[in-house]
This record gives sequence, structure tokens and C-alpha cells, in this order.
Amino acid sequence: MRYKELILNRYRLLIKYIGILTSGIGAFLLLPLLVIPFYPEDIVHINAFLIPAVVLVVIGYLLWKFTPEGDDDVTLSLKEGGIIVLFSWVIAIISSAIPFMLAGKLNFSQAIFESTSGWTTTGLSVVDVTQTSHIFLMWRSIMQFFGGAGLVVVMLSSILNPYGFGLYNAEGRSDNLLPHVKKSTKLIMYIYGGYTIAGVLLYTLVGMGLFDAINHAIAALSTGGFSTQADSIGHWNSLPIEMVTWVLMILGTINFATHYTLLKGKFNIFFKNGEIRLLAIFIAFFTPLIGYFSLSNLYDTLPSVLRRGFFEVLTATSTTGFSLGEFDNWNTFGVFALILLMLVGGGTGSTAGGIKLYRIYIMFKSWLWGLKEYFLPENSVTGNYIWRGEKKLYIKGEYIREVANYIFIYMLTFFAGVLVFLAYGYGLRESMFEFASSLGTVGLSIGITSPDAPVVIIWTQIIGMFLGRLEFLVIFFALFKMISDAKYYVTSK
Amino acid sequence: MYVLVIGCGRTGAYLANDLSKAGEVVVVIDSKNKSFKNLSSEFTGFTINGDATEIDVLKEGKIDKADVVVVTTNNDNVNAMVAQIAKELYNVSKVMVRVLDPEKEVIYKGLDVMTITATQLLVDRFKEEIITN
Repeated sequence: MRYKELILNRYRLLIKYIGILTSGIGAFLLLPLLVIPFYPEDIVHINAFLIPAVVLVVIGYLLWKFTPEGDDDVTLSLKEGGIIVLFSWVIAIISSAIPFMLAGKLNFSQAIFESTSGWTTTGLSVVDVTQTSHIFLMWRSIMQFFGGAGLVVVMLSSILNPYGFGLYNAEGRSDNLLPHVKKSTKLIMYIYGGYTIAGVLLYTLVGMGLFDAINHAIAALSTGGFSTQADSIGHWNSLPIEMVTWVLMILGTINFATHYTLLKGKFNIFFKNGEIRLLAIFIAFFTPLIGYFSLSNLYDTLPSVLRRGFFEVLTATSTTGFSLGEFDNWNTFGVFALILLMLVGGGTGSTAGGIKLYRIYIMFKSWLWGLKEYFLPENSVTGNYIWRGEKKLYIKGEYIREVANYIFIYMLTFFAGVLVFLAYGYGLRESMFEFASSLGTVGLSIGITSPDAPVVIIWTQIIGMFLGRLEFLVIFFALFKMISDAKYYVTSK
Repeated sequence: MYVLVIGCGRTGAYLANDLSKAGEVVVVIDSKNKSFKNLSSEFTGFTINGDATEIDVLKEGKIDKADVVVVTTNNDNVNAMVAQIAKELYNVSKVMVRVLDPEKEVIYKGLDVMTITATQLLVDRFKEEIITN
């Protein structure tokens, strides 16, 4: 009986939080309206944003206001944080899809696909950008901006009470930059916002229009990859613009804690970081390989081979998803190399997706440590550590198991998704490429993603993007907790 | 406010939890990694695993920037030493120490630190209760 009351109390608190977050999402929907003064013809779409925004703010406010006050002095566990994160992401995705539907641009599945792709910073798109007004292009970028930082991070940095790590950890952004969660999230937003502004400036300097510059700076830093042009960065065919994109993509794929050490000028610690080393190795290793085996038939000169190769390696491993051209004419070596890079993905605690460099690095190190221990005396004691942020982190066995489990579940989901694609008659290499791109929230497409793709394929990709962004466990935790609580509530008297 | 808590036993951990929840910046130092399990999920500060009698550990905890240092390890000698380092070497404006053995309170005479002796508090309270009633 007592426990039943306790459960009820906890859920009241959760609903209050979800209410606050819902209002916040409503406020985000108002942001694209800032475009209207510059492009007055977009005023026809004002209702598509205004109506859902007002509805969300009101619903959120009512949830917050009229949920009876529970015991105030409770804190959120990781699982409860997970429930909040899951609900607020689902609410964010559904409500962000509404403007596309209200404007009659997309049907339900397509609209959900587009907003999932935005919030998860994937960048796959079923929108024809040449036919899309500025307000919707801006809205796609805004989704990527907030999705990149994470809904909870944005909210914690501004309006939410700092009720603990549960919420922060649940979103798959677990690095603590400063000794307080509120300060950490604020710092993340400053770094992220600062880089975005710098990106806009750099893009305009190298000759991009302001509107395109804003959209591409956001899309590159959030490792999202929505472009305002049908052929992405390739549209400009300009080396300076590509170089700016390189820098922004690399910045986007680096962990925020590592950025902080870099900004504090601790370069030696920066270069000790395993993720940075691994990233450098991947780029240095795959660029020439892809160039030699895959691109040398397609391009005449060495610089153009390297230019294309380097860009595509970077866009795949940073999980951004900008591209310079199509992949249809690549041979299988190049396609599979990109699939591998997309599976690995970028850095933890950055805006990137994929398995994450960090986990690969841990597994590689763990393998090396295992080999080393084999040659050591039986009772020798070893302290295995890696550098994370600016701290030495000692790695224990359980931790390695967690990482291995994650990689296992990731690959399992990957293969399951590929099977769905194959069942619909797509080729193996196209299926693997497209689903690796969805699951890793990359956004490169080999041509399967289109407005007329089968509905099942669209939803498979939506699920893939969602799982990939929220890193599986949180969703499992949250669902399991809700089911077990509901069971207890119903069965006990 | 930046609070450095040394010793993550029950006292240290509860204090750290409450302070962190109240929005203060908290860093906790303890020599045993296991002790950090006492911290709840409302604690969002840093933990440092190390011996607080080593100056490098205190430096890692940025003791020079601390507004308050709370010393709550389960060893009076360590407490005395760390409190003295904080006060004399780093001029921390507020140093608070938990004293275990009431006899050792004299160590802190002449040092501008706040001491609380749990045993003495208990004894005083009990004594008062017995004698006045």
C-alpha cells in the first residue's frame, strides 16, 4: 500500500517535469517565425507553427500546474530520468512533425521521418529542398541545433531545476565538465553556441549567403547534415567552403569535455585523448585507401581524389552527413569502408552518433591489456587507465562488459534493420549503407531514402535513428520501469 | 560557492548531496573509491579518488580556489593536518572540521577553524537531559 503511494508520487513528479519540457518544446516551435521579417512571403505558414506552439505551451503548463504536488524532496534516478527523456523526445518529434503536415508538405510518416531525422541530428531527408520555403528550412536546422545538444541539456541549462544526474545521464550525454550539472550544461551551451556563431562567420567569409551559412553552420556542428541545397555542400564546389565544413564537422564530433580542455589551452591532454587519436588514425588510414581503391577510377587528378575522399571520410565518421556528390557509382570497397566508419561514428558526449570512438577505443585497449596480462606473472596487479577529459579514468572489468554489451546490441539492431531492407528487395550494399547511416544518425544516402520509399522502410529508419540517438539502454530502462510499476500498481491491492 | 569536502563517509556524503542539490559547486575527495557509493543521484559534483594528505590530491581538488573546506575523514590526525594545510598554506576563508576524539579538540586552538565534536555534542545533550530532569 505504502509502495503504491510512493509510485504514484514519483509519477506525479515525472509528469510535472514532462509538462515543463513540453512547454519548452512549444517555445522552440516559435523560433522559426524569426525568419518572417527577412522573408515576408513565408507569413502564409505562420499558423503551421503558431497553432502547435500555443497548444504545447498550454498543455505543458496545465500538466505542470494541475498535477497535485507530491513529496517535493525526491530526486530522480537514472531510470526515472529515462522515462522523462523518452517522453519528451517522443513529444518533441511528434510536435515538430506537425508544421510539415499542417502546411500540407508531407504525410504523417514522412513528417515524423523528417522531424526524427532533425532531432536525432541524422540529416536524411524526404523533403525536396528546392521546393521548400525558408521558414521550413530554418525549422529543420533549429531541430538539429537543439537535438545536437540534447533536449535535457538545453532545458537544464535554462529553466529546469537541477534535480540531479539521473536526467542528465539518461540522454547519453554523461560528461560532467564542471562540478555542477547546471554549470556544466550552461558551459556546453556556451561552447556549442559560440562555435555555431563562429561557423556562421566563417561561412559568410568564404562566400556563402547568410541564410545558407546559418543553416550549414548549425547542421555541421550538430553533426546533423540537413542542407539547404539538393546536392549538399557539393552545390558550391568550393574548396574554402569545404575546409570550413571540415573544421566544423571535426569540432562537432569532439566531446564537449575535450573541447573544454582544449579551450583552457591544455593541448598535451587534448592529444592524449584516445578519441582524438583514434579519429586521426581513422582519417589518415581510410582517406588514402578509399582514394586509391575506390575513387581513382572516378576522378582524374590526385588532389580531387583526396578532396572527395577526405571529405566523405570525415562526414561519415563525424556522422554529419554532408556530401560532395553521390555514392551510386562508388565500388563496393569504398561503400563498405564508409559503412564501417558510420558504424563507429564520432565521440561520446559530442553531438555525433554511432557506436562512438570511445567505446571502440576501450575495446581495443581492453584487448591490448588482455594480451599484456597474458605475459605478466600470475599475481601482478595492473591499473589500466585511459584519459578522459582531463582525468585519468581507471577501467574495470564490469565497465568493459557494459561497453561490449552496447556494441553487441548495436550490431544486433543493425543486422535486424538490414534484414528489413533486404526483405523489401534492396541490394545488400545499399541496405547496409542506408541503415548504418540511419542508426549512426549520419545522414548519407545511397538513394533509398526518398518520399516514395515504402512506409515500413521509413519507419524502420525512424526507429533506427531514435535508438541510435538515445543509445538503447535508456529506452529499455524506461520501458521496463514503466511496465513493472504499472504491473505492481494493477496487481497489488 | 565552491565547497571542497574531504572524506566521503556518511557525514561527507550527506553534506555533499545536500549542497549539490542546493546548487553549490562541490568536489569530494576520498581515498577509497567505494566510499563514493554513499553519494546519491542528486550529487552532480566531481569526485577525486586520492589521499587528502598528499598535496597533489588537494591541488587537483583546486583547494586554492575553495571558499569552504569541510574535513570529515575518520582519522583525527588526518583531519588536523588537512585543516591546517587548508588554513595556513591556502588561506581558505572557512574551514570546518569534524573531530572524533574530544581530547583532540585542543589541536585546533589558535587555528581559525570551526570544529564540531559529535561525541561532545551528544554528551552535553544527554548530561543536560539527565541533570535538569
